[in-house]
Amino acid sequence: MKKDYTVVGKNIRKLDALEKAMGAATFTTDIKLPGMLYGKVLRSPYPHARIVKIDTSKAEALPGVKAVATYLNTPRVKFNTSATSTFTIPPLQPVEDQYIFDSVVRYVGDEVAAVAATSKKVAEEALELIEVEYELLPTVFDPLEAMKEDAPSLHHCEAGKNVPGEKIHIEMGDIELGFAEADNVFEHTFKLPVQKQAQMETQAAVAQVSVDGKVTVWSTTQTPHPSRRILATIFGLPYSKVRVLNPPYIGGGFGVRIGLSAKAEPIALALAMLAKQPVKVVYDRKEDFIASDTRHSGYVTVKTGVKKDGTFTARKIVGILNSGAYCSWSAEAPGVLGAMGLSIYYCPNQMYDGHSVYTNTTPAGAMRGFGNPQGMFAVDSQVDIIAEALRMDPMEIRRKNIMRPGLPWVLPYPCQSSGLEECMDLGAKAIVWDQRGKQNQDRDTIRRGIGMAIGTHVSNAWPFCGDYSNAYVTVQQDGSIQVASGVPDMGTGTITTLSQMAAEVMGIAFEQVGITFADTESTPFEIGSHASRTCYASGTAVVAAAQDAKKQVFEYAANMLEVTPGELDIENGIIYSTLTQEKSISLGQVAMEAHLRGQQFIGVGRIIPQNAPPYLAHFAEVEVDTETGKVRVTKMVAAHDVGKAIHPLIVEGQLEGGLAMGIGYALSEEIKYDDRGRQLNNGFHKYMLPTAMDIPELEAIIVEAEDPTGPFGAKGVGETGLVATAAAIANAVYDAIGIRFFEIPLTEERVYRALKECK
Amino acid sequence: MQKKILKFKLNGELMELLVSPSDTLVDVVRDQLGLTGTKKGCGKGECGACTVIMNGQSVNSCIVPAMQAMDAEVETIEGIGTSDKMHPLQETFIDYGAIQCGFCTPGMIMSAKALLDGNLSPSRLQIKETIAGNICRCTGYVKIEQAVLAAADKLKATKDK
Repeated sequence: MKKDYTVVGKNIRKLDALEKAMGAATFTTDIKLPGMLYGKVLRSPYPHARIVKIDTSKAEALPGVKAVATYLNTPRVKFNTSATSTFTIPPLQPVEDQYIFDSVVRYVGDEVAAVAATSKKVAEEALELIEVEYELLPTVFDPLEAMKEDAPSLHHCEAGKNVPGEKIHIEMGDIELGFAEADNVFEHTFKLPVQKQAQMETQAAVAQVSVDGKVTVWSTTQTPHPSRRILATIFGLPYSKVRVLNPPYIGGGFGVRIGLSAKAEPIALALAMLAKQPVKVVYDRKEDFIASDTRHSGYVTVKTGVKKDGTFTARKIVGILNSGAYCSWSAEAPGVLGAMGLSIYYCPNQMYDGHSVYTNTTPAGAMRGFGNPQGMFAVDSQVDIIAEALRMDPMEIRRKNIMRPGLPWVLPYPCQSSGLEECMDLGAKAIVWDQRGKQNQDRDTIRRGIGMAIGTHVSNAWPFCGDYSNAYVTVQQDGSIQVASGVPDMGTGTITTLSQMAAEVMGIAFEQVGITFADTESTPFEIGSHASRTCYASGTAVVAAAQDAKKQVFEYAANMLEVTPGELDIENGIIYSTLTQEKSISLGQVAMEAHLRGQQFIGVGRIIPQNAPPYLAHFAEVEVDTETGKVRVTKMVAAHDVGKAIHPLIVEGQLEGGLAMGIGYALSEEIKYDDRGRQLNNGFHKYMLPTAMDIPELEAIIVEAEDPTGPFGAKGVGETGLVATAAAIANAVYDAIGIRFFEIPLTEERVYRALKECK
Repeated sequence: MQKKILKFKLNGELMELLVSPSDTLVDVVRDQLGLTGTKKGCGKGECGACTVIMNGQSVNSCIVPAMQAMDAEVETIEGIGTSDKMHPLQETFIDYGAIQCGFCTPGMIMSAKALLDGNLSPSRLQIKETIAGNICRCTGYVKIEQAVLAAADKLKATKDK
């Protein structure tokens, strides 16, 4: 591809920005249909119980109530709320462990029943009238406890006590030999908290069933096509009779709705079928906290063998994650944790063992980073421990061991590009790395520190689950083009980025591109927005579709111009011969001529993506108040190898947003449970996510080590912003006060206690 | 509960409608009057997505009883600009990349507008304090702060002309 791009690499006005700035953008929560009812959900107050008796008669009798759904009158088809159930590759089997409603509840917040009524108030009143008799069952909340033989079983499991899916084992080289070759062996265990996506729009769906049984569901899903498959399977419908779409906007996602939006879609649809009226279900914020997926908490142990000169000879990682009450993505997340944790450094002998464990807590699923921030907090905290033990600079030990293109790793695709070392160098310069360790006087109570950490990630979901994309590019009769891709735009700029790629390939102005997206009825199969894949995988499909359309156009135009297709090129909508100056014609003229003779140029892109590693180096500067334990990040530098920034402003936005979420993960965000399984942090005033006041100076640096497999060289970027943030901050805190933390978040309380113990 | 008549000015237009005393301002604006630009993110006054301007002050409309808006002047995102004549904040939010998912955007812009209506030279800290009650989970706030600063400059330039 040519390097002088006219559309790619430019900060064009985002296609969704105007509507959103005007308050004119439609979200699921904004939808109102004629005759629409409001659905509300009754949730379990107990962490584990059997429903002995449920009486809905009083609720049904309340004026305005049109339907009450329980396990007794809804489909008894097991499913997994996540898209994994549609993409687990044989011989692995998807873990399908839940119903819309069941006779057993397994966490506080689990669905017991739902009501559809003419108003939200009536629906809420009706919930109070449902009488439920529970028989309490034994509970377990910690994954290590839940693995023990005498722990209560939440589900039938083949792989081990309370283990959903398979145990994951990854191996390269000879781990025992590697440890034998080492001069020193380090082993540490780290504990990770529950983080919440806390996307601004809560889980929501509106379901409508036509008189002839056709189903339409507007929802907040990040993956309309996989969600359609889950719904069609539950309700026993042909996929072609179920339409799932975004309306078209989603108020954020961060992984919380890769698949269903918790259970908003099947609950709304079940109620709509019972009531024979459209039903809207919008979770309130507390429901969103307690009854939709979180990031996995858990334990990560890292054991590293190292030579005196700092060369790694062996690394073993063990990850035990808390799945919560249902599987969701718990079979895949431990794999990404291990694979990414191993692949950031080159080490000839590596091993990973990991799995999730069911407990009676809110299900854990996908959240931005997907296991990787957990693993990298452990790995890159330990690398700093090793560096100090060997009296090496943290930059130097990393430089010595980082993965480089061409070296072997545990992943089934090759590493073909890396801007990691450049990221490290640019980041070190921006944070003024040389100041590290030189900023404090003996008597300072506010102590300053600098730390760093690195990471990588994926550019799509393969090999952790299946991945492919389709797209259409249709040339209209005036020479403008229509792109169709099933991928949503949850704020990540996807539709703008894909349109830029289509315009670049077709050689037309960006303004000539229209796009249809996030709708199963008008787009071919496409997984959707997850795994940092939309630019890389969906983008590759759109590029392929545009190339296909362009090929057809050139063949037609060549006939018209009496030249060969191979000598044609197109710029700004004008097709011309690269050999003869006189021979040119506009795309619009060709399209109209073809139309008058009965032909339209329809490009189809069908691709199975490769994968490519984005790289990042994060640098944190912190101040620790030794009198209060308060950690303040004063500056973050994030240097990212993104392959190619198709739209630099969008890329910066992804990085800055990721950093903010990573700062929250490091310092303040955590959901804890009481001894009865109830979340202690189930709203914004109890769950401390960063506000504008908490954000330091953020410097995002873009490095472009183009990957041969990515469209225009692009790699994944959406999740990378928080992969190494927590490790970088913890390393900076160590530099400031000399205390190593094996658990995050670094709250004032935790840091204060540690300071006291050290005195 | 007995419904009551609520009269107030919404984006300059006089409104008169029947509301329940338990209705909140956001429910009236969104559900009864159909202006869905104002968002509801928590229903407890914690996230700022529902921010509107009432009598010159930014308020979380999800915790304002609708009847409290009696005779008030209420401004929502729909009232501050048109697509061919946007409010400078709407322009700069677009130009500076301050909008991602867009769910916090209307509330964020209304909080910022309440600030700029009274102060065209806010400091970075004043901007941070102003939007500290508006949660954005997408952007990391940096581009939002830049957009508010730029809008202040634009407004100042227009005023000085």
